[in-house]
Amino acid sequence: MDLNTIIFGVLAILSLATFFYLGKMRASKSQRERDDRIDWTARKFSFRSCITIALGLFIAIYAVDLIFFN
Amino acid sequence: MSKHQALETFGRSGNPVFGNKFDGDAQFRDLPVTEKMTLDGTVNKTGILLALCFATAAISWNLPSPVLMFSGMGIGAILALVTIFKPTIAATTAPIYAACQGLFLGGITVLFEAQFPGIAIQAIGLTFGTLASLLVCYKTGIIKPTENFRLMIVSATAGIALLYIVNIGMMVFGGGSGIGFIHSNGLIGIGFSLFVVAIAALNLVLDFDFIEQGSENGLPKHMEWFGAFSLMVTLVWLYLEILRLLAKLRSNN
Repeated sequence: MDLNTIIFGVLAILSLATFFYLGKMRASKSQRERDDRIDWTARKFSFRSCITIALGLFIAIYAVDLIFFN
Repeated sequence: MSKHQALETFGRSGNPVFGNKFDGDAQFRDLPVTEKMTLDGTVNKTGILLALCFATAAISWNLPSPVLMFSGMGIGAILALVTIFKPTIAATTAPIYAACQGLFLGGITVLFEAQFPGIAIQAIGLTFGTLASLLVCYKTGIIKPTENFRLMIVSATAGIALLYIVNIGMMVFGGGSGIGFIHSNGLIGIGFSLFVVAIAALNLVLDFDFIEQGSENGLPKHMEWFGAFSLMVTLVWLYLEILRLLAKLRSNN
């Protein structure tokens, strides 16, 4: 077994152990008791802003491709 | 009743996986404790899905076949859509989805591993490392997801999805290589991959928040499967993006 496998294998096992241990615990008070939590019952942002940002990102990346890779 | 207790309606979430029609007004409040969603149950079910995914990935890894890989990908994608629109059947569809994704991931990992030996264990380690570190950040309150955070992550995810769809369309119908730098191993290509990995990782925070609030508000038991499923979807995406990023970095040297 090489060093690469040992390092990343141990990282994976420790991380999974952390997930299974910490995942079952409740989040801290500072996380749970605040006013700006996400309200999963409704979408607070407008659909238009979401589409605008998504399209903006798409156009920006596509423009980079056109300028530098064509 | 706090505003979060209205969680049970879950009508219009921004996260594509969470955008379910959750149509029960106050019916869940009367559920017995054993019928309510818990953190324990969700984490255990995530463990079951991960185990299934690893088991089928091992099959696909040892018997690499394009048929297994592409059927896993196709059936997994269909099941993901079905689960998103009908979370009540997540207990059935999520395990099959995880098994199918395992077949796909095992197959694609073999291809990467043949080209870059040692890349698979690196990607697995980094994926779970990201999962654990973000969970610590979430639980301790270092990262506090807000509505603006959700807007940014959902929009960026939608933008990336659009980019990938256009890219696939260009490759299939245009006969070209699609949007070039998505696949390039230059500085811009690596930067793009880093950005996508960051967005995929931050989607985990949304998953954690959904699961935390879902268990606080006592959603029905089947939502444990749905929460585990949503984590799996994000983990599969994150793993694939990390695999691509590592491949770009290795081929750049």
